[in-house]
Amino acid sequence: MAHWSVVVDRGSEEPVYAQIARQVRGLIAAGDLRPGSPLPSVRTLAGDLGVNLNTVARAYRRLEADGFVEILDRSGARVAPPGSAATTRETLRERLRDVLARLRQAGMSSRDIQRIASTEIAALDDGEGRS
Amino acid sequence: MERTIFDLQMVVEVIVIGGLMLLYPRITRRGLLFGVYVGEERSAGAEARNIVGGWNRGAITATCIALAVAVALALSRANPLLTAAPTLLLALASVALYLRSYRRARSLAPEPGARLAAASILAEVPGGTAIPVLVLLAGVLCGTFAVAYTEAHYGGLPDRVPTHFGTSGRPDAWSRKGFASVMIMPVMTLIMGVLLGGVTVLTSRAKRAVRLDAGGGSLDAQNRFRGAITRYLAVLSLLVILLLTTMSITSVQVGLGRREGLPPAMLLLGIGLAAFAMIGAVWLAIRYGQGGSRLEGPAAAAPLTNGLADNRAWRLGVFYVNPDDPSWMVEKRFGFGYTLNFGNRKAVATLSVLFGAVIGLAIWAIAAL
Repeated sequence: MAHWSVVVDRGSEEPVYAQIARQVRGLIAAGDLRPGSPLPSVRTLAGDLGVNLNTVARAYRRLEADGFVEILDRSGARVAPPGSAATTRETLRERLRDVLARLRQAGMSSRDIQRIASTEIAALDDGEGRS
Repeated sequence: MERTIFDLQMVVEVIVIGGLMLLYPRITRRGLLFGVYVGEERSAGAEARNIVGGWNRGAITATCIALAVAVALALSRANPLLTAAPTLLLALASVALYLRSYRRARSLAPEPGARLAAASILAEVPGGTAIPVLVLLAGVLCGTFAVAYTEAHYGGLPDRVPTHFGTSGRPDAWSRKGFASVMIMPVMTLIMGVLLGGVTVLTSRAKRAVRLDAGGGSLDAQNRFRGAITRYLAVLSLLVILLLTTMSITSVQVGLGRREGLPPAMLLLGIGLAAFAMIGAVWLAIRYGQGGSRLEGPAAAAPLTNGLADNRAWRLGVFYVNPDDPSWMVEKRFGFGYTLNFGNRKAVATLSVLFGAVIGLAIWAIAAL
């Protein structure tokens, strides 16, 4: 998909707000959206996608909670600037430890986990994380 | 003179409508066929060409018949009310031809169509919405001024007030002074100003139907198309507001005996307005195509999205009914410009009130005069 867009599929099992949030996250991770880049207002994006305003608002709130975007008054949102490098890295490492623990708890071996991680990193590098 | 203008208008209307009927299949977005999404490949196939050929033959025949009726009416100096007959005849023929073509196109689209939607995540607002909002403001201010001016001079008007002006600008019909006969023009100015300004604002914010995997080409075409239509509507609305406001004020002045008639420029403004409306619409259709179809280039091969490809959301290919879509205005599948989302209750209620006001005003005017 083109680097400027998000695509939603109403027939998908994944909720629409999660589809939007995942693709915006992917665009940020791939560097297509840089820190400070303005995002469309909730009304504009909801209108163009033909989805409820609350659906886009929910996607933006989730992205804000995850630290990817900042929600602005009326004018929409923008990609959040990177926080303090040390703090951000430590926070993310903690989250990674949680995820690794859950994967291990689910019965996966270290090799399985490494394979999954390699696949996801490759997808991120290829920009596939956005679709 | 007036009769000649009516006859000329009748003939020009038939030619323009007939021309638009022939133009529409050529400006439709690739993938659509007479209000049906049949897919990008099928829309250019042999069966699709047959359906378009049938439409073209019907459109030419109907236009020739309507033109013959128009010329006969002009030569026989028939009742002026009959001058609407050729246009009405052609409009009815176009509806019948469309429904036939729509049914044939449906057979090419067994699937309900895609439910995918794509949107730009870039926050740019091409053209902005400042001009449409200013047009709406101008409509409200001019309309309010016309109502207030007429109300302020109501007491000074004589028992007989002018209600119609000939091509010379002089009044040629009068009516007894009454609230309805005096206030009809300024109230119409206010309602039309709000309606036209509102439609311009909504058009500037209409939904953009971009294509999948089409890079920025599809979005760019959409932005340019929407911007051009908005500018066209803004100029058209301002001209109508200017014409109606001037007519309201000068009608009062004629009634008060301060002027003998409308300024000569009014006739020119009226003719210029009609010419701009018709020529502008045809030029936009040829230059941009519906939804910017003529600007899409290679992007036109990519699949349509955003409701245009979803056959379930359209009734007869003309009425978009999608309660899940917050958009008020969406791109037409067939024809030119935008249409209402009939699934959006707020949009339907608001525009029903405005159009209801216009129709109510027309009935009020007929009853009063």
